Amino acid sequence: MAEVFGRLSSKAIALGLGTLFLVAACGGGNNGTSGSSASSTDVTVWTAWGGAELKAFKDVLAPFQSKTGIKVHITTNRDSTNQIANGIAAGTDLPDIAPGPTDPTQVKSWVSKGALKSIETALGSSFNDYISNTYAALTTAPGGATDDPYIGIIGGKHYELMVKTQVKGLIWYNKKVFTGQAPATFDDLLAINPSQYNAKSLFCAGFESGAASGWPASDQIDNIIMRQSGDQVYTSWVQGKTKFTDPAIKLGYQTFLKEVSDQAVYGGRNTALSTNFGKAGDPLFKQPAGCLFLEQATFITSFFQQDFPSLNLKAGTDFDFFAHPSVNSQFDGNVNGFYDNFSMYNDTPAARQLMQYMATKDAQQIWANDGGTLGAIKSLTYNDPVFKRAADVASGAKNLLVTAGDFMPADMQKAFWQSLLNVTRNPGSLNSELSHLDQVQAAAYTTS
Amino acid sequence: MSAEQVTTRRESAVTRSVSALDNFGYRLQRLPLHLVIIIICAIWIVPTLGMVINSFRSLQDMGVAGWWTTLFPPHGFTLESYKQVLAIEGVAPSILYSILITIPATVIQLSIATMGAYAFAWMKFPGRNLFFIVIVGLMVVPIQMTLIPVLQIFKALHLSGTIISVWLAHSGYGLPFEVFLLRNYLGGLPREIFESAEVDGAGHAVRFLRIAVPMTIPAIASLTIFVFLGIWNDLLVALTFLGVSAYRPFTVVITGLVTSFGGGWQFLTAAAVLQMALPLAVFIFLQRYFVRGITSGSVKG
Amino acid sequence: MDQIITAVVAVVGVPLVIFGYIIGGEQVIERLPGRLQGWARPYFWALPAVGFATIFMVYPMVRTAVISFRNSEDTDWVGFANYHYFFTFPDTLTALRNSVAWLIFYTFFAVFLGLVIAILVDRVRYESLAKIAIFLPVPISAVAASIIWKFMFDYQAPGTPQTGTLNAVLGIFHGDPVPWLLDEPVVNNGALIFVGIWTAVGFCMVIISASLKAISTEVLEAARIDGANEFQIVRLVITPLLWPTITVVGTTMLINALKTFDIVYVMTNGAYETDVIATRMFSQLQSAHYGRAAAVGVVLFIAIVPLLIVNIRRFQQQEEQR
Repeated sequence: MAEVFGRLSSKAIALGLGTLFLVAACGGGNNGTSGSSASSTDVTVWTAWGGAELKAFKDVLAPFQSKTGIKVHITTNRDSTNQIANGIAAGTDLPDIAPGPTDPTQVKSWVSKGALKSIETALGSSFNDYISNTYAALTTAPGGATDDPYIGIIGGKHYELMVKTQVKGLIWYNKKVFTGQAPATFDDLLAINPSQYNAKSLFCAGFESGAASGWPASDQIDNIIMRQSGDQVYTSWVQGKTKFTDPAIKLGYQTFLKEVSDQAVYGGRNTALSTNFGKAGDPLFKQPAGCLFLEQATFITSFFQQDFPSLNLKAGTDFDFFAHPSVNSQFDGNVNGFYDNFSMYNDTPAARQLMQYMATKDAQQIWANDGGTLGAIKSLTYNDPVFKRAADVASGAKNLLVTAGDFMPADMQKAFWQSLLNVTRNPGSLNSELSHLDQVQAAAYTTS
Repeated sequence: MSAEQVTTRRESAVTRSVSALDNFGYRLQRLPLHLVIIIICAIWIVPTLGMVINSFRSLQDMGVAGWWTTLFPPHGFTLESYKQVLAIEGVAPSILYSILITIPATVIQLSIATMGAYAFAWMKFPGRNLFFIVIVGLMVVPIQMTLIPVLQIFKALHLSGTIISVWLAHSGYGLPFEVFLLRNYLGGLPREIFESAEVDGAGHAVRFLRIAVPMTIPAIASLTIFVFLGIWNDLLVALTFLGVSAYRPFTVVITGLVTSFGGGWQFLTAAAVLQMALPLAVFIFLQRYFVRGITSGSVKG
Repeated sequence: MDQIITAVVAVVGVPLVIFGYIIGGEQVIERLPGRLQGWARPYFWALPAVGFATIFMVYPMVRTAVISFRNSEDTDWVGFANYHYFFTFPDTLTALRNSVAWLIFYTFFAVFLGLVIAILVDRVRYESLAKIAIFLPVPISAVAASIIWKFMFDYQAPGTPQTGTLNAVLGIFHGDPVPWLLDEPVVNNGALIFVGIWTAVGFCMVIISASLKAISTEVLEAARIDGANEFQIVRLVITPLLWPTITVVGTTMLINALKTFDIVYVMTNGAYETDVIATRMFSQLQSAHYGRAAAVGVVLFIAIVPLLIVNIRRFQQQEEQR
């Protein structure tokens, strides 16, 4: 046995060969980095989009790639903010273009570290056009302030390029079932009797969404609070300055609970909590209709259509929406929207060109044509009658307010979303939930 | 026919019918055993079976009725989900990249772990227990806390964004458990075999390579499966260390199947079935190493 | 293409290098004087494993411990504030309670079922098939598992057709559908823990089975000849022989239970009182509260040290016995 290995020569050869292999491997491996230092031919883009959204994005990029010859490398990454944070801390390569962070502290921190490059730099001479073409609410800090981290404005400079928008808080209905007039006030809406239209209940709701369960509920309460107590209260609440036990917020919760009571919502509270948001609107199209209304954002239309391919649902003829009715007429101009944005992390010629392209009307028109979303540019044309009206809602808004949960610190958002689930399940727990939220709020917005 | 032949035939007929009865009785005794096993297997398979069947159904069907309804006509099978998955841009290279990431990483960490476990099991040295506690204890460290320092190390070594960095990262994260398991197995090998080899003049190298390793094959085989599929199914390490580079393993590519709102989740069922296929194949292939006899006689009562 | 070359090189080269390292190293060590040999050898052999672990785990762990005493911007020391937050925050109590439930039930059932199944299927001819059936959930990723169990746990309003398997079965027995993931705290945590067990049993079974095969048939035959029935053999012969492996598997499962994240995250993200330690830590990480997340990591590490000491004692017993 031992003799085989006793020969010095064979050992030496083994060791030598092995080392040689490894050295070769190391050398070979390094060629693999497709880093993006000052590239004028390639751009790396990270996005949270997938499925149909991704396809629409590729449609948008197709003319760009054929015209400029620049190759765009897209990766769907739902964890991009964390990954970029790690990359910044470790000093490793960042993607050229990716969504900006939602947490205001992170926005400020990344700007100060130079990780986010300004849109002024990226767009150069076309920057002014971008500002005048895009919805003002997305590009101007309210009240002439120099900072609005929620839309990526720090120190008077912009760091987020707005490309798509959605409007939330729209009340969807089946045109063949609900033939009445859109109610003028929220109380009117709640007073509608579903059996008048042969529907089982007033609302459909679906709050389940895996790890993000509760966000549809937060949309509902956001739309209530901003119209009930105004944008000042709303914004200060998002910033953690207004407590959850504040009477205005508590009133918002109580009003929300009216929308999700066992009588008001299809299938009762447990169904609302267990149903995935994408399927929540299905009872609208059943016969007999399960419910009259679904409160959701503009993107829900594709879910209606894909769940009932045989019905061939058409926007405008089969389903339509009316804007969230007024709660307090003083605050009617507040509309809830959210937007998709891109920030530039590496200032390369190719990245600049791509940013400039995405800010153009031609690019965003492709998004509008593919459907399911609004662009960020005001003057796009929409073939879909529903989106045309939604665009009107967006332009007519005095304040386009962000979705509260999305811009709270992550642990606050989680507690907030889950508080809505908890009070829906157990309305009697409202007070204890609110004081719990205050505790979370006190700890979430601090830095230690 | 002679008298003896008749008797013999009668005897063997009797013997055969007695043993047939015996057999039947034996099988009847074994019936509970079979029942228990089959029931447990059924419970275990049903959920997965549901998903596999659903991967052949349309979204509309899935919203209306449970998967068991496809067992009766109309069946409503469709390959739509699979077509969507295979139509993703870059899906074929991604499977290759997944393989290129998984196999070397598995080989690297198992080789190192076996060697290290042998040292912990058969060599006494000061600090042995302390090292062991530290290394194995770190299994509990949440991986997110290690990302930034490791990224910095790779950057310093000029390995950022290379496939090698992913191999090394997986190896680093997997070693603690492997050392833990293999140390147990190696430590259970009988001392006598090593001692007699030592008497025969075999050094540690020979004892390890020619005795310890072959006897540890069942443990290494079972470990291989879990290491393999841990790396194969991984998303976070791949995204973090490959981030900006062009390699996209399968797990990263299929993230793009579903919209950020979850639309298109039905395609994930097909993607999950495809993703499961290779590790399952590896498992089935390695089953042959789980055979009694390779180490028979090595564990004393 | 060069990736394939690199990979092939690695797959062939690394074992070769290790081969060479062992052989070459031993050659050197054997030339050393006796005492030095005994000292140098173990470090030499353990070096690669320990080296890797140090770089990838020890160093980050030390860094984690340091971060746990600083604020999240890494600008100032905050003493024990992060630990104080962890131990006093009400959400933590729920998470700790649930994690203890995971520790107990997940570990016990995963190991117990793994052991029972390994022993049972050892005795049938279709062992391979049965093992594949039990192993099936193991390669399923957490996201896929959440989809699978969504189909199982799905809930529709009472009186409407059920799309979830479990509620459909309940319907056959004229029961009302149960919102499995909503009913706090026993039903939903139980449901999640069951999903965890479902994925883990395959692992326990495979590892225990490998050790089971190493038990010589002569020992079992001898026991049978001595008149022991099968139950006695399992209890008095097989289980004691498997005890070291059971301890290892059990320890691994305990650590997994502490670390459980994926299943809870994708199915409920801790809603309806299902939070566990890892999901709490993750939400701190998401909000860039690195100090608090680090504190959780340190607490977890300290919590399992006693467990590892138990393991070391058992290894020492093993050494004395052989």
